[in-house]
Amino acid sequence: MSISAPLPQHLANAVPALPIVLPLLTATVLAVLRKHLPRPVIDAIGIGASLLNLVVCSLLLYEANTQTVVYWFGNWYPRGSIVLGITFVIDPVSAGLACLAATLTTLALLFSWRFVDAGSNHFQPLMLVFLAGMTGFCLTGDLFNLFVFFELMSTAAFALCGLKTREPAPLQGAFNFAVTNTIAAFMVLTGIAFLYSVTGALNMAQIGLLLAHRHDPLVLFACALITCGFLTKAAIVPFHFWLADAHAVSPTPVCVLFSGIMVELGLYAVLRLYTVIFLPAMDTKSTSLRTILLVFGTVTALYGGAMCYAEHHIKRLLAFSTISHCGLMLTAIALQGPLAAAGFLTYLLAHALDKAALFLVAGILLHRLRTASEPALFNQGKKLGFTATLWLLGALGLAGFPGFGTSLGEALTSNAAEAANIRWLSIVFLISGTLTAAAVLRVGFRTFLGWGTKPISDRAAQIDELPETQDGDDTTFWYHIVPPILCIAGAIAVALLPGVREHILNAANRLSNQPAYLHTVYTGETQPLPSLANLDLSARSAAFRGVIAALLAAALALTSVFRSRIPRILRIGAYLEGPLLALRSIQSGHVGDYVLWMTVGIATIGTTFVVMLR
Amino acid sequence: MSERVRLGIFFIFGPLFLGLYCYAAMGLPQWGHYRGPYGDVISRVAVFERHATDAVNAINYDYRGFDTLGEEFILFTAVLGIMLLLRREEGAADTKADARKQGEKSNEVEDNPALSTTIQAVSLPAVFVTVIFGFYIGLHGQLTPGGGFQAGVILATAPILIYLAQNTKAFKRITSHPVIEVIEAIGAASYGLIGIAPLLLGVPLLTNVLPRGVTGDVFSAGTIALISACVGIEVTAAFLLVAYTYLQEIISGEIAED
Amino acid sequence: MPPHLSLLPFIVAGWLFFCGLYGIITSRHLVHCVVCLAVLQTSTYMLLLGIGYRLGGAAPVFADIFPGTATVDPVVQALMLTDVVVEAVVVALLLAIVVKAYEKSGCIDPKDLSTLRG
Repeated sequence: MSISAPLPQHLANAVPALPIVLPLLTATVLAVLRKHLPRPVIDAIGIGASLLNLVVCSLLLYEANTQTVVYWFGNWYPRGSIVLGITFVIDPVSAGLACLAATLTTLALLFSWRFVDAGSNHFQPLMLVFLAGMTGFCLTGDLFNLFVFFELMSTAAFALCGLKTREPAPLQGAFNFAVTNTIAAFMVLTGIAFLYSVTGALNMAQIGLLLAHRHDPLVLFACALITCGFLTKAAIVPFHFWLADAHAVSPTPVCVLFSGIMVELGLYAVLRLYTVIFLPAMDTKSTSLRTILLVFGTVTALYGGAMCYAEHHIKRLLAFSTISHCGLMLTAIALQGPLAAAGFLTYLLAHALDKAALFLVAGILLHRLRTASEPALFNQGKKLGFTATLWLLGALGLAGFPGFGTSLGEALTSNAAEAANIRWLSIVFLISGTLTAAAVLRVGFRTFLGWGTKPISDRAAQIDELPETQDGDDTTFWYHIVPPILCIAGAIAVALLPGVREHILNAANRLSNQPAYLHTVYTGETQPLPSLANLDLSARSAAFRGVIAALLAAALALTSVFRSRIPRILRIGAYLEGPLLALRSIQSGHVGDYVLWMTVGIATIGTTFVVMLR
Repeated sequence: MSERVRLGIFFIFGPLFLGLYCYAAMGLPQWGHYRGPYGDVISRVAVFERHATDAVNAINYDYRGFDTLGEEFILFTAVLGIMLLLRREEGAADTKADARKQGEKSNEVEDNPALSTTIQAVSLPAVFVTVIFGFYIGLHGQLTPGGGFQAGVILATAPILIYLAQNTKAFKRITSHPVIEVIEAIGAASYGLIGIAPLLLGVPLLTNVLPRGVTGDVFSAGTIALISACVGIEVTAAFLLVAYTYLQEIISGEIAED
Repeated sequence: MPPHLSLLPFIVAGWLFFCGLYGIITSRHLVHCVVCLAVLQTSTYMLLLGIGYRLGGAAPVFADIFPGTATVDPVVQALMLTDVVVEAVVVALLLAIVVKAYEKSGCIDPKDLSTLRG
């Protein structure tokens, strides 16, 4: 198959549907056979199905690189401008995210081989359904289909979150997760209903066509509802409260998927809907929109970083760092334009792999040392040298050290910000990277090197997790250590592998061009676009900032670890850990509080949109 | 956060949200004057193209059949999740809730009066009518309002009627049979397989490739009728599984008491 | 319906959403919380069906009317069907979580479930 020839027709009509249908069918087979087959066979079938999904999505990515694949379900082609059926619009961004989902699912299933408690084998079919839901969410071009896959993804996630039913904490976490995300889904549906009423269409391209230059209060409120719904999934302040609870109680392979891809898909949905529907609708007001989203992104990044440093339970710490980095990614989306979109995509890819590696290492710690709480882990990890290296590399990735994809993402985003005269964005990246990397390094210093004294035990760290693997197996097998290695290698490859930057720039260029999208959906042809490759991108200042962030992070972690040996004035880290109690008490674990903040959020965003963007 | 603070903050932002909702709703087309093209186009062409007189089910299983595939699998996943959450664990620790339940249960069964003979006599014909009605609704999905989901729920209420008529043993025998799980999975998988069959013929997923038949016949509208029947099977099995999973602890207690 | 009342179905939809939110925020019982979530979900049904209604329109079932007569919108009814199934299963899953949480911790009030505080 040469690079310019499209797929043969009978394959073109079959392949795009396979990444959804195959995992679902395999899940039904596994659901029937789960009590009759031994555990290794079920694990193998699960891994095989997600690998097959990865292969098919890679094929779609290869095809989408040259021309966007538009697939009409039920053979319902549009009639004039009216779209009757459901479509998949597979451009490089969608296919790339689907590949990322398949990769992380395969690695998570590999990590859980044989030993992670699988709830009498319900775990594997639920993971496959989760994968199908995420893949459909990425690939679809129809609004209501987006909602259906959002719900499919969420239902599988609720069930997986509550898998460990022996303790009451997972059930509380799953309850909070389920209630907040269901409210978010129905906010999205209300927004879709409003858009349907004025356009009479459910297809994204058709709505984009019909809503051009319309920004009356109805469209603005629908935009606000849809944005808030997806920002809840993306864990942006003030919709973020469910994430820490859900991560603290889910099994490790599930946390990998949550932080690695599920949360980022909320941001992807915002980007896709804004470029196709809302930005062309708001044309003259896009600068105000940029300001609003920048504010929310910055607040999230700083808040997430601060809360991350104040945490002592490893998984909650990593969850808050996800919140912080999602705030950074929202600022990249806010800037609009292909360069910022490229920064968003690069950062997403690198962060997903880096965070997955950190969660997998946390899983190894839970497996070997039987605890996930920083005070209990003190000085326990001295023999785990290789794991310590991975943890350190993960921390550097969070800080944006040069050589990691996060640094490249930051470079692209900062360049886009400079072009829009917003010079303070790189400082936000620096602060967020420093705080999150410092937290991870602090845990690393205490656990693997045994430096300093035992940390203060706090409420959150006292609610420890029961180990999720069976007793009596104290070695780290190859299937525990290979997934995090692959993830870290991937995070580095995003920055260093030649050609990745050009592909991402081209993909972002195709994504940001709404007229080209409409043309492709209605005619099936992909227009050639002017290339972005001749842009002058200096990554050197971003590299410099990455090194500064890593050094500051190390210094901050050291002031916390050695707090008793340094003069009181310099104990910055210790000051950050303790007195954040007021901020931390907002995260109360009570579902009514979480929904209250969501109401505050939707009311604020709704009012801001309706007032400022009219 | 105390109750008062929560209420205070809510009564500022909640009415603000409600006000925005109403303000946005003023921009909607006037109630009763639906004008969008999508519904009208389908109303005009569904009968001719698909020989299905029920436009809603034609949309559900044909025009937007892919959404319904996702929806069916949401049901499947939720049932899997419920069985996961309420699974019996070996050696689970007794909590004080369990102990309290044990104490209550022994009192409950004694206090429960026996059901009157009228109810016991009427329940069997009622079950019979429910089952027939359920099959009728399921088979006529393409002709009249109804279809797979509705039929599945109606059929699933029949064993529940049996349980309410205090025939717990029969209820347990029907719903705890391991074949129910298999039937549910087969129902869900068959929707996927009906979708995949067109792929082998070279057309996209879920294309209606079966013969359309004569409008108004039970065997018409191609795959719409077939998908509707499969969905009916799956939904019935799913709801039976859910009913059994929720009631299993109570049922074991009641049967042990007999 | 007189024109000045024609906003009423949509206001009812908004009111249902508001009541659902109020119920969840001030709930003292987990099952009550789940039912309030269901109330919130019904607001979308009111909105969808209100959008699709046509005065004097027949049901979109052409068993005894000819295609081309004015009917209400069948698309929103199909969307609502999906919506109802999604609601029912999410409520069922949440109730399973509630049952298990009560069994494991003995508390049914959200503020007593204090295992996950920040």
